[in-house]
Amino acid sequence: MSEHKTDVPYGTLDLLILKTLDTMGPMHGYRIARRIEQVAENLLRLNQGSIYPALIRLEEQGWIRTKWGISETKRKVKFYSLTTAGAKQLSVAVANWERATALVARFLEAES
Amino acid sequence: MKLRFAAARLLALVRKRRLDDELEGEILAHLEMAELDAINAGLSPEAARQKAHRSFGGIEQMKEDHRDQRSVRWAENVWRDVRYGMAALARDPGFAAITIGLVALGIGANTAIFSIVDAVLLRPLPFPEPDRMVRLWETPPAGNNPTTTLTFLDWKRQDSIFEALSAEEPFRAAVATGGDPIRLSGKLVSADYFNVFGVKARLGRLFAPGEDQPAAIHVVVLSYATWQTQFAGDPDVLKRELTLDGERHRIIGVLPKGSFDRDGARFWKPLIFAPDQLNRAQHWLHGIGRLRSGVNIEQARARMNTLRASLAPVMPAWKKDWRFTVDPFARLLVGDTLRRSIYLAFGAVVMVLLIACANVANLVLAKGAARRKEMALRASLGAGRARLIAQLLTESLIVCVLGGLAGIALAYLLLHLAAPLVETSLPFTADLSLDSRVLGFAAAAVMAVLMLTGLLPSWQISFGKLSGSLNLAARGSSGSSAAARRAMVIGEVAISVVLISGAALLFKSLARLQLVDAGVRIDHVITMSADLPAAAYPAAESATSFYETVVERLRSVPGVEQASVSLNVPLEGVEWGEFINVPGAKERLLVRVKMVDPWYFATLQIPVQSGRGIEDRDRAGAPPVMVINQETARNLSGRLNLANPVGRTVVTYLPGYGPIPESRVSPRIVGVIRNERTGGLHAAIEPVVYVPLAQFPRQNVHLVVRTRSQPLTAMPGIREAVRQVDPHLPLGEVRTMEQVKEQSMLWATQPTWTVGVFAGLAALMAALGLYGVLVNSVTQQRREIGIRMALGARPGEVMSRTLRTALGMLLVGLAAGLAGAYALTRALKSLLFQVSALDPVALAAACVLMTLVGTLAALIPASRAARVDPMTVLRDEG
Repeated sequence: MSEHKTDVPYGTLDLLILKTLDTMGPMHGYRIARRIEQVAENLLRLNQGSIYPALIRLEEQGWIRTKWGISETKRKVKFYSLTTAGAKQLSVAVANWERATALVARFLEAES
Repeated sequence: MKLRFAAARLLALVRKRRLDDELEGEILAHLEMAELDAINAGLSPEAARQKAHRSFGGIEQMKEDHRDQRSVRWAENVWRDVRYGMAALARDPGFAAITIGLVALGIGANTAIFSIVDAVLLRPLPFPEPDRMVRLWETPPAGNNPTTTLTFLDWKRQDSIFEALSAEEPFRAAVATGGDPIRLSGKLVSADYFNVFGVKARLGRLFAPGEDQPAAIHVVVLSYATWQTQFAGDPDVLKRELTLDGERHRIIGVLPKGSFDRDGARFWKPLIFAPDQLNRAQHWLHGIGRLRSGVNIEQARARMNTLRASLAPVMPAWKKDWRFTVDPFARLLVGDTLRRSIYLAFGAVVMVLLIACANVANLVLAKGAARRKEMALRASLGAGRARLIAQLLTESLIVCVLGGLAGIALAYLLLHLAAPLVETSLPFTADLSLDSRVLGFAAAAVMAVLMLTGLLPSWQISFGKLSGSLNLAARGSSGSSAAARRAMVIGEVAISVVLISGAALLFKSLARLQLVDAGVRIDHVITMSADLPAAAYPAAESATSFYETVVERLRSVPGVEQASVSLNVPLEGVEWGEFINVPGAKERLLVRVKMVDPWYFATLQIPVQSGRGIEDRDRAGAPPVMVINQETARNLSGRLNLANPVGRTVVTYLPGYGPIPESRVSPRIVGVIRNERTGGLHAAIEPVVYVPLAQFPRQNVHLVVRTRSQPLTAMPGIREAVRQVDPHLPLGEVRTMEQVKEQSMLWATQPTWTVGVFAGLAALMAALGLYGVLVNSVTQQRREIGIRMALGARPGEVMSRTLRTALGMLLVGLAAGLAGAYALTRALKSLLFQVSALDPVALAAACVLMTLVGTLAALIPASRAARVDPMTVLRDEG
């Protein structure tokens, strides 16, 4: 697992990528990174490079697949898209995330 | 397990290069797009590049992360495939057992045979700089001879050629260890002997220079094995003594463990020349030397030729055509027959491995056909082809690794069981063991098996049209896979036919050999050797009186019918060879000379053809006589024009008793006897002459005893009789004539049975392959068969259809196999006795046998096809 620090909440980058691919369909690495930054409205400081290790991890889990395509700059790049297994994993991950935040929220309310 | 890591590392390496390149490209594209966006947003190109890099973050750090992710996944994938493969094998234990068993059999047999190949043929001798070790001969125009004492001493003075030079002579001595005296084999050697081999003592010291000169103290060196067995590894052995033939010898050293333990000799003592032996006529010394460093064998030969020329004046005139010969030591250790037998066994075992591979690949393919649906499903769920192939290869890898491990265990077992059988025919330098070289070979063989059994099925499964398989795999056969499986079965049949043909030829030759008449009584005869020690039997008279009394005593043993003493036993060669001259004839005749007592011919039932045999009156002091065999008589009349040899006198040279050299004698030929086989059943009949042992006594003799009942049961009585004559005389090499005959045929029986066993194994495996393919095709065609039968086809027709398929494959295999046999059986030529390498009967028998085995294997699936119930099948799948 990557240990270097980013301001992306720990372990959520995979979720963000999967969600992005789910809503936007197939896209290449740069677009994925830009999309995450745009949605976060610059509240999030993302090292764009860090999505590539995440992408290979997701690919080898079988959650996303790649296809070669041509970028806007006329370069051969990989386009990533969600697999059936990835879609299933996304719903599981979303459910887990919601359970976890709900639990943390309840704690914070109880303590205040 | 090492293998798996090696393979994984290799694949990862190839993969890493590609993935790194891909990542590089992605980063470049990413930065370009980021720059473009920034420029479009109004930044200068320089500022845009800096911004792109800043928002990307550390590139190198990211690359590291990327690689980590990859390798973790890779290892996890491999581990998951291994677990999955294990589980798949466990689900189908029958398949697992058969495939692993086949691989184990193939690898085991190959590893065992390779360890022999390696020990005997590939590895250099286990001595320092073995290239410098040579054997030396004095060579008449034909064949190699030992040398004489004086010539040996001349060689010994050639310091510029030899760093060390020694003679060696086999020597046996009685050792009393409590009960019955036993006989130990040893060697008489020059002080330089161990310098020739370059070995050092493990304990104490080896012979010092000059220790082979006449001296007061007798010394002896022991082999490691003798130290362990005779002295129980006593660390103080150097303070003890070994009594040989009643003489005490001081133990000065023990050799290291290893080669010398496999040598026939158990002890070594200095060879000291007696004054009588200092001549140039008695050829008895076997020379062995180490060339001085920098002197190659060609130079040594040239200098020895020069030496021979300079010695011409002192050599006997009749040796003017003799030369000195220098041969590499290694070459003489492994005879041509042994070399050929080993190559033959290796070839056979490789063929068996190929068949085993074909069978495993066949089984994997059959299983693969059934798994197309699973593969198609996984592919549709997003599994890449590479992942599928990796998974299939992992499964093959598990089979191969488990099979390989079982195979190494099997090889260990085989070597353990076979070692006592084969070790006697291997040179003493050969160390049979599963060392790192042999294990490396086993690993390479496993790798080859993996390639042969894993890649084709993987390719078939992964690259076939998987999409179509989802709905079709359940039914009907896949064309290309079935064709590949048939081709493999045909190949198996062909290889089996080659092996069976070879075995058939060898067995036919062995049968021919067994039919050869030895010319002597074989059953109910037992032989043993006795060496009369010089100390107890110093003179010829003492030896002759021993022969007479021992035969007398033996005859009175219950169960013994006849007993005799002779120099050598039949079939094992005659150690003495000499020319006989007929006065008046120009040519001489080279004959083997056998010293026998008056009862030898009667004991072995060799009939006298004309004249008389050797009789009691032919004693020392009486006129010397000679009995010749028919072959000698034929040669005398043919080449020397002596039609009626009986009554004629010939001139020859015969040895005296003990160290007394040979001298000129003129015996009268008194009879002709029928030929006995002296040199093994396959060897041509030699001219042999017999002289009375009483007139020409020897120290090393054999007792030959004919019994009324099973000969071994008479042994206790025989031993007791000998003990009464000489309680200190041990008997060696107790064997029945049947055992002697078997031993003389070992060169033929060993390769025959090896090839026979492998051929049987090959035929069984090929039959198994055929069976597998037919069962599979019958299962797949159940529906078709059902429809045919519903339309009126009779079970007999259905059955013959399946059998015809089988016969078709068999016939193609036979044809290919015969072509292979035609090309390969000529390698057997030197091992065949009176059988041509293309003997039609043997080849036909091989074909019939293979057809028979194949048909039997086909009968089960054929009858299963005939029993298909049309109603059930149509309802099941309709």
